[in-house]
Amino acid sequence: MSKKRIVITGLGVISSIGIGKYAFAENILKGISGIKPISTFDTTPFKAKLGAEISNFAPEVILGPKGLRTLDRSIKLVASAAKLALADAQLEITEANSRDTGIAIGTTFGSLASICDFDKEALTEGVRFVNPALFPNTVINSPASQVSIKFNIKGFNITVSTGFSASLDAINYALNALRNNRVKIALSGGVEEFCIQAFLGFYKSGCLSDSRGIVLGEGSGIIVLEELDSALARKAKIYAEVLGFGFAVQDLKKSMRLSLEEAGLAPEKIDYINSAANSSEEFNANEASAIAELFEKRVIAVSSIKPLVGELFSASGSLQVAAGISALESQVIPAKVFNNAQISKIENILINTAGRTGSNSSLIISKFKGY
Amino acid sequence: MDKRIVITGLGVVSSIGTGKDDFWKALIAGTSGISKISSFDTSGYPTHYGGEVKNFEPGNKNMGRASNLAIASAKLAVVDAGIKLDNLESQETGVVIGTTMGESQVLEKLNDAWVKNGTEAIDPQLIPLYPCNVLSLNVAQELKLAGPNFVIPNACAAGNYAIGYAYDLIRMGKARMMLAGGTDAFSRIAFIGFNRLLAVAPEKCQPFDKNRKGMLVAEGSGMVLIETLEAALKRGANIYAEILGYGLSCDAHHMTAPFNEGIKEAIEKALSESKIPADKVDYFSAHGTGTPANDRQECLAIKKVFGDYSKKLPVSSIKSMLGHTMGAASAIEAVACALSVKNDIIPPTINFQTADPECGIDCVPNVARSMKVDVVLNSASAFGGNNACLALKKFLP
Repeated sequence: MSKKRIVITGLGVISSIGIGKYAFAENILKGISGIKPISTFDTTPFKAKLGAEISNFAPEVILGPKGLRTLDRSIKLVASAAKLALADAQLEITEANSRDTGIAIGTTFGSLASICDFDKEALTEGVRFVNPALFPNTVINSPASQVSIKFNIKGFNITVSTGFSASLDAINYALNALRNNRVKIALSGGVEEFCIQAFLGFYKSGCLSDSRGIVLGEGSGIIVLEELDSALARKAKIYAEVLGFGFAVQDLKKSMRLSLEEAGLAPEKIDYINSAANSSEEFNANEASAIAELFEKRVIAVSSIKPLVGELFSASGSLQVAAGISALESQVIPAKVFNNAQISKIENILINTAGRTGSNSSLIISKFKGY
Repeated sequence: MDKRIVITGLGVVSSIGTGKDDFWKALIAGTSGISKISSFDTSGYPTHYGGEVKNFEPGNKNMGRASNLAIASAKLAVVDAGIKLDNLESQETGVVIGTTMGESQVLEKLNDAWVKNGTEAIDPQLIPLYPCNVLSLNVAQELKLAGPNFVIPNACAAGNYAIGYAYDLIRMGKARMMLAGGTDAFSRIAFIGFNRLLAVAPEKCQPFDKNRKGMLVAEGSGMVLIETLEAALKRGANIYAEILGYGLSCDAHHMTAPFNEGIKEAIEKALSESKIPADKVDYFSAHGTGTPANDRQECLAIKKVFGDYSKKLPVSSIKSMLGHTMGAASAIEAVACALSVKNDIIPPTINFQTADPECGIDCVPNVARSMKVDVVLNSASAFGGNNACLALKKFLP
């Protein structure tokens, strides 16, 4: 199979540390954290009180005031990120390219609050009194589908729910769709919203802690992916080339190794690892040892943006890719580096997404070097 | 990319039969799996019927019902493929699962407790059973699958999306063998929602009938085991059908209303990838939910794609028997399509009484039809305007 070259030509970010790629990149470099006391609900009954909520998110400013009334927060987050990404890529979706454009979104809890609210309204008010206009929000593919409806994306529309690795898995789905000629352009990334249901899920599972554990966040990152020829033909700004993806069930070393194989890169070519580390101790140790085994004695620069944006579950990978793009642009490693690795350049970045159990995915993005 | 992919194992758990043989017998006999809903109390609800799988004993109590349904159909598919269950670890086998509601029953229990007694009453033991990414992980854990592992919650077309992606992954060399399909447990939330959309029939699902009154919520799981033709021939496997290709599209039109243009696009992409002329299709397995809007839009799409041939093309909906098994539906229908190709019989649309001129298709009314079936299309549509169409062909050595 002749391998097609796929590049990233647009980026849209909605995060707790900034709306839009510039604000996000600037605050990543400054090390500004979006973690604050939770405001979405009363945390009095809980020991964990911090979260990375997006307090200044005004979807009507980005999307316009019309048609937002019945949409849930996840839809507004991902639709806003998509709009910014399309604008950033200077890409207009018209009748001519609509059917050649697809979208793949990673989310697992994106519709959770809507599902629970709908069910609870039926339980408290009676099934005959539930608002049917809110039912469409209860399907897990509603955020991605609403983006298609808003921006006329007809090529394909897919939602990927693989837990912590969902954003990268969605991006890989989009890469495969491009490689298999299913579309010419794809939007991809992830979304999760901050809600009490997700908080309770992690909290009651013993994962959340303000000092020694995970702090949840929310947000959405969307990238525009296209074949190199298409990007060159429309003189698009190329942020990065996507070189390789790897996946494994509960085996981060294997997912990293597979991503290197697909990229055709030796481990020493990786300049920086954007880690999945989220302060869950057992899991962080697991990633550290996988990195140590794969990269042997070499001291490699590793950092995590989760101290700044929180753990975004299925959306984490999408912001990690955004941080990776920012690192390629600025040549500065985002957030605090875990070790004192010295670097001279950032050309190849390995991004890890993983949870304590389940799917692990790795993606390699690289500075575009031309033909 | 010129690898040929074939279906060599079928697994199904449904309201009309578990295992491909019982399922097929019931299907061509035109058996209904619809009954009064028993998994929760429906008094106070506008309707009371659905397609529950009775007598299904979940094998693993530490997993939700949707996972258990998926594991059962996955095991059936593996055994049907003539592969030993303990022999998958070394096979680079992966699994892709489609779903609409995931482990909805788990969430409903959590919500019941929350509404009655507050957040204190939420059982932490139940929480890890809920997130829908556990569906494929649970199947992988039970069957020791180390390959690609993926959940596609693309609502009621999810099964076809799953099979399509699994097909791509093998063709790209990312796995040697894939289990792909869909699963959904009977969901109170879906039942409430479709009732509120006034889309649920009182007792019978009557696709393409002039007096059709809607869909019926159901549950089940369907799974296919797929591999390269080369691998299948090498191990002397029984080949049900070859996957020729598939097509995806998005209406980008409305969250719940189906739209003929998008359905047409997915069908045309499937035909084009398969390099099959439209008039060579022998059977069209319809999404056919039995709602006035779906059947009207789907038949319009069929007329647009097939032209005059649409009058001759047999189009049936097995949802007339099973109800709508949500994310499992198109996977179970893919199993039916593979059996149709293998046996040269087309399953009927039951409960058909009065032709609807707005549909104007041959829906194989009430009685299965024996005829040569070489090429089938399996069409599915979903909330969000997500359409997926799969093309299968009889394999002739």
